[in-house]
Amino acid sequence: MPEGVVTPPPAFPRGEAVGRWEGMLRFMRSAGFRFALLFAVIFIGASALFALVLWYATAGSLDRQTDAAVRTDALGLIERWREGGPGAVSEAIADRLASDVEGTAIYLLLDANDARLAGNLDRWPPGLPPEATWTFGTVQREGAQIEARLYAIELGERYSLVVGRDVAEKQKLRTLLAEGIAWAAVAAAAFALLGAAVLRRAVEMRLRPAALTAQAIAAGDLSRRVPISQRADEFDRLGGSMNDMLERIDRLMAGVRGVSDSIAHDLRTPIARARAKLEEALGEQTDAETLRAAMEQGIADLDHITRVFGALLRIAEAEAGARRAAFAPLDLVPVLADVAEFYGAVAETGGQSIAVDLPVRLDVVGDRDLLAQAVGNLIDNALKFTPSGGSVRISARAPARERIDIVVEDTGPGLSATDRARAGERFFRADASRGTPGSGLGLSLVRAVAHLHGGDLFLEDASPGAPVRGLRATIRLGVA
Amino acid sequence: MVCDMLRLPILALVVAAPVFATGAEPVARVTTDSPDYCRELAQRLAPMPGARTEPARSLAEDGLRLCENGNPRSGVARLRRAIRAARLEH
Repeated sequence: MPEGVVTPPPAFPRGEAVGRWEGMLRFMRSAGFRFALLFAVIFIGASALFALVLWYATAGSLDRQTDAAVRTDALGLIERWREGGPGAVSEAIADRLASDVEGTAIYLLLDANDARLAGNLDRWPPGLPPEATWTFGTVQREGAQIEARLYAIELGERYSLVVGRDVAEKQKLRTLLAEGIAWAAVAAAAFALLGAAVLRRAVEMRLRPAALTAQAIAAGDLSRRVPISQRADEFDRLGGSMNDMLERIDRLMAGVRGVSDSIAHDLRTPIARARAKLEEALGEQTDAETLRAAMEQGIADLDHITRVFGALLRIAEAEAGARRAAFAPLDLVPVLADVAEFYGAVAETGGQSIAVDLPVRLDVVGDRDLLAQAVGNLIDNALKFTPSGGSVRISARAPARERIDIVVEDTGPGLSATDRARAGERFFRADASRGTPGSGLGLSLVRAVAHLHGGDLFLEDASPGAPVRGLRATIRLGVA
Repeated sequence: MVCDMLRLPILALVVAAPVFATGAEPVARVTTDSPDYCRELAQRLAPMPGARTEPARSLAEDGLRLCENGNPRSGVARLRRAIRAARLEH
């Protein structure tokens, strides 16, 4: 979609119900809703766990106490049965009932004919098996039916015993506790929903500046940046990263615009010059020699244009990493020596000298041709700006494992700090170099080659503080 | 524990079951909340050595009075305290 174009509303508005469903689905898919849901689930889970622990420690404890008391009571009566038979058990039951101050004890002893011998129940509880069985049953007390915990035992000789406790009071406590937990659950659910809503709103509000900025940029306003708060939290870090990204995009786009402008400017001049010369030669009554000279000049101008395009393509290839497939292990020393020898003749012509300081061997993995061209560009630049009688020094060393420095120093005027900062840009030419031939692409290619090999290009004064500072250009190769 | 929490509705069903189960076997009745049991406890207390001393004596009198006034459960509770006090006194 073209930049800045807004999608028009549909010609036939969809139904309100469909729109509402879509809105609901979009809301449920949102990160804010999912965070809020997660919060609610965790909150309710924690509340449920708390309620279970509370129930186990209170109602569960009451039940366990009752069971323990009934079991102890039953074991005591079984012991009496073994010692004295039915009579002893009857007397023990009567005795225990007489001292049951709480009034919760329940006993019943039946003989082999199901006749009641002792206890405070008028009959065997319906549905209660005589063998060792625990159950919750119902008994009648003062006209009301109450809950009781009952334990039935067969003593022997078909004598049956029921030991139990009236748990109506404990049941009331349990009901109160259950009601409390139910109300607490309602409150917890309400708090969970409220907290979830607040959380969702907070996430939405914190993301809103970034979303608005992204929308504005999508609409074409590239100057917008994400406002950063003073909280220094994750959202601020995200906003900062977005702003860094936008700054970089801005710089790249400015670079692209600058390159386009430079291409238009730098190519228009030789094309216009060639055209003017050819037109001039064609229009005038010139001899064959003059016509030939004009054509040669035109061809030279076109060759220059071809070289500029070739350099641009090579830089683009290096920056895109397309040449990385051609990387191979190589010894850098003979490559540098060949380049130095090639430019040695040029230096002699200009009255300059080239000094070489290379180790025995420098192993590197890279593109031989690109490295040779990068070093050649540096030497070419150095010779171009070094006056007659000056010298250029080429050295290389490996100061650290997996790092190689290739240094080209000259005794020329050097570069100002401002020019050094821009020296790697395409078509950039310092004011002092306007009069020398060149396209402003040499150092761009060097920097691109250094980046391709996992390194960078560094420019500094060769002799800081000296009247003639010179320039030291270092290609630092890293792990490619 | 979950079973404990489920017990509430189960108990409600258990309690309500006799209402719907017409003709079912009658529920067992607790017999110790009655004037007869008050008298039985009084007879059990009487021969105890500490029955005439305080606080067993007062508790027994209160218990019998409550039983005569139609509050056998409270009366039984007082008489049981009286028996316990008499045993401790002894």
